[in-house]
Amino acid sequence: MSELVQRVRDTTRALRAEFETLAPLISDSAALQALRDRFLGRKSGALSGLLKSLGQVAEAERRELGQELNALKAEIEVRLAEAELGLERRLRQDALARERLDATLPGRRPCVGRRHPLTVVRQELEDIFVAMGYEVYDGPEIEDDYYNFEALNMPADHPARDMQDTFYLEGPGGLLLRTHTSSAQIHYMLENEHPPEVRIICPGKVYRRDSDVTHAPMFQQVEGLVVGKGIHLGHLKGTIEAFLHSLFGEAYPVRFRASYFPYTEPSVEADLGCIVCGGSGRLEDASACRICKATGWLEILGSGMVHPAVFEAVNARLGRVVYDPETVTGFAFGLGIERVAMVRHGIDDIRLFYENDMRFLEQFAS
Amino acid sequence: MRLPLSWLREFVPVEVEPRRLADDLTAAGLAVDGIETAGGETVLELDITTNRVDCMSVYGVAREVAALYGAALRPPDTAASATGAPAAESLHVKVEAPDLCGRFCARLLDVKIGPSPAWLQGRLELVGIRSINNVVDLTNYVMIELGQPSHAFDLSRVPGGALVVRWSREGERLTTLDGNERALPARVGVIAGRGGEPPLALAGIMGGASSEISQTTRVVAFEAAWWEPLAVRRAARALGMRTEASHRFERGTDVAAGPLALDRLAHLAAKIGAGSVRPGLVERKGAEQPGRSVRLRPARVSALLGVELPRSQQVKTLEALGFLVSGSNTEATARVPSWRLDVAGEADLAEEVGRHYGLQKIPSALPPSGRVGGLRRSQHRERRIREILAGVGLSEVIGSAFVSGSEVAAAPGLRLANPLTSEQDTLRTSLVMPGLARALGTNQRLGRRDLALFELGRVFLPGSERPLEERRLGMLLSGQWPPRHWSAPSRPVDLFDIKGLVELLFERLGERLPQWGGEAPPPGFLHPGRAARLVSDGRELGYAGVIHPDVRDRLELKDEAVVLEIDIERLLESPPGIARFHALDRYPAVERDLSILCDETTPAAETLACVRQAAGDRLRSVSLVDRYTGKQLPPGKLSLTLRLLFQDRERTLTSDEVQAVVDGVIRELRHAGLEIRGE
Repeated sequence: MSELVQRVRDTTRALRAEFETLAPLISDSAALQALRDRFLGRKSGALSGLLKSLGQVAEAERRELGQELNALKAEIEVRLAEAELGLERRLRQDALARERLDATLPGRRPCVGRRHPLTVVRQELEDIFVAMGYEVYDGPEIEDDYYNFEALNMPADHPARDMQDTFYLEGPGGLLLRTHTSSAQIHYMLENEHPPEVRIICPGKVYRRDSDVTHAPMFQQVEGLVVGKGIHLGHLKGTIEAFLHSLFGEAYPVRFRASYFPYTEPSVEADLGCIVCGGSGRLEDASACRICKATGWLEILGSGMVHPAVFEAVNARLGRVVYDPETVTGFAFGLGIERVAMVRHGIDDIRLFYENDMRFLEQFAS
Repeated sequence: MRLPLSWLREFVPVEVEPRRLADDLTAAGLAVDGIETAGGETVLELDITTNRVDCMSVYGVAREVAALYGAALRPPDTAASATGAPAAESLHVKVEAPDLCGRFCARLLDVKIGPSPAWLQGRLELVGIRSINNVVDLTNYVMIELGQPSHAFDLSRVPGGALVVRWSREGERLTTLDGNERALPARVGVIAGRGGEPPLALAGIMGGASSEISQTTRVVAFEAAWWEPLAVRRAARALGMRTEASHRFERGTDVAAGPLALDRLAHLAAKIGAGSVRPGLVERKGAEQPGRSVRLRPARVSALLGVELPRSQQVKTLEALGFLVSGSNTEATARVPSWRLDVAGEADLAEEVGRHYGLQKIPSALPPSGRVGGLRRSQHRERRIREILAGVGLSEVIGSAFVSGSEVAAAPGLRLANPLTSEQDTLRTSLVMPGLARALGTNQRLGRRDLALFELGRVFLPGSERPLEERRLGMLLSGQWPPRHWSAPSRPVDLFDIKGLVELLFERLGERLPQWGGEAPPPGFLHPGRAARLVSDGRELGYAGVIHPDVRDRLELKDEAVVLEIDIERLLESPPGIARFHALDRYPAVERDLSILCDETTPAAETLACVRQAAGDRLRSVSLVDRYTGKQLPPGKLSLTLRLLFQDRERTLTSDEVQAVVDGVIRELRHAGLEIRGE
């Protein structure tokens, strides 16, 4: 072996060792370029020089040395390419790191609005009854004496009128603001005379001259009316139980007791086992339950079998017997929407519903 | 009404726990609101419904209790031995107004005035009545016990020893027992002295001072009458009076109770040593009160209650309550007891049977259903509007229907005859003014500046026969909307926020967008330069605009607010538009921008319409991308940059074709006197 061959071999080994030492130290693109020039530069690169010197090596050994040197050159090329990629990756990472956001800053929310809590309750009531086959009927808010009182078996000077202090409009005609949605029953029966079958609820605003924590001069009720052949008190009970259980849950008992409304006979009030104290009348700390006034029961709605006088008043207005009390019967019920919302959300002042204070309205997700 | 149990037990042997008794009475319709125990006495607080005046007495409740438990009802002890001359020799009674008084009964007692015994005073105290003297206390005691009010006259102070029942004349004066001198209107029932003068007492309401019992009273005329309920009701209302007596009479007392009450008085007077009764009842009857009978078909009662109850059971309940039943199994008659003025028909009998059977025991069922329920179109749409608006960030409010008359221009027929306050004396004619504006003020005072509100409700408008009720939608935006984020500069709301909202709403409802303009000027409470009428299909819908600065000052509103109010009657009733599919475009669209120099006073809609018209059917859309008003433009001018999008359904458009269309648009615009910038 010639001395030249030995020297090329030694230089190759030394170059490999030198590359192994320098490669891990590449820190930026300048260092990368310097290394590339050092080993692979066309003019001054160490490997290029060595490859040129092979021309002087004997034919027999040149082939082997050439393979060896080219292998080293290829390896260095690959290693430098990898280093370049790594360098780019690091530069990108550094750049991204500088683009850091503080994720704890407040987010950008889409606008949030909401329906009024009474709208939410009213629609829920409507949905329950619609599912039971009811129509939803709107009646006028301005009524006359006939629709609000007379047709509902409350002739002039009837003591029951005292229970409902009425707002009257100025001027002739004796117009008034309806004191209950019961007046809508009469409108519906007059408008829908064939066949004498009715299954409606009438939600809407009503007005009474009264204002304190449990009375607002304007509030909302839902009236229900079912008329047909063979309708009886058991149907009234079943309907109200189904409705209250759907609204509040099956866990609460429903109590029915006799009562009095001029337009129903028999008249029935329905109470719900108090959802706050569970019917015991006492809270966990043994204090009296304020929601049910320690009775364990919440007065929820008034109801009853339609008074024959109501059917007769409608027939009189129609001029013929359509709702014959001898052949059709019916039941009616009415409840305050605010009452349901107050019980459900634990609200203690009815007037809050109509003050439009956002601090109140925003408490109810809807 | 307060009911001591010891008093109740004088008439019915009831030994159940007070709690149980209260629950049973409540279920049967005599609502017990509370149970009170004090000094060895248990008192029930009863809330008697207005129809059951017969139960506004101890004996009346005892009758219910006896029927409930199947116990015997013990009648009140009325035994008394009469002494002296017959009463009729010293007392004369005349009923001049039979339409006022159905029955007038009186008895004379020789009395010795003094305090009542402790037990009697104690009982009155338990029911909330102050003891006066033995004679007055007896009348109160008997009223609470039997439900029949009575009145005691000092016979020596009754002119001529005569009690004359008549209607009042307008302007007559009478000093009542409460010390008030009253000027009577006409047609108030009075009890007067001989010859009808002077008025001594208000019939069924309150006695008079001139014949009041005093320490020197020796002979008392006790009166117990049946007064026409309506007469007492009207008189009490006219005089603004409400007494224990009037409360009972105006609901209808028992026409048969007068003699019983007087006998009980005589018995008790002897018992407590207050006096002794003279022989004879002095009585005058007015119009005869015929006994009433009601048809009873037991099968129908069962059918109405939804539970099969045998005739015998129904009759047992009714007879325990004082009804007399006769007739067959299928068709019977129930004679109504004189104290039950509330019972007039078969349904009333069903109530008696049902409540004593127990409503709780009646099996529940759902009515047979052959009907499909559902919401009406307008109800669906109302819901949809609420969902859309809540979905884009508005909060629903519900405003009062009452506003101050000073806030509503001319509103014939919308004023209340009996408002709660002068601030609430008129029905609202608008949702926005003052309703939503006030809601804004309320919240601003509470420190809330960013608000987006809507209301969907009725307003009232003057109508020919009666006010019209119109359904409307109102909106109000103020401050920032959407709420400001820390990353963006603040931008107060303006007209275009509310315009965008209403357009979104109409689009989602499948309705054509309303036009902005309209003939009539916007309402005066809006900024004259920043408001517009909304028109749809040639019909005025409403208005939108910024609240006038003067109005803002008057209502003390801190920030500018944009409002909108539209009539939604048509919107609610119109059938929902169903979208028609059209094939997707397969060829690319070409975009061109045009900057147009216009007069500041030319509505943008006119320029856009001109472009649309000229561009023809290959124009897919045109949108405003910039509006520039600046120093680089001649005075009175502004620049609109429009982005036009061209597309053909059949092929790709060449740039020459597009240019030809754009050139055409430019020609038309120039023709209309508009300049194109950068051309």
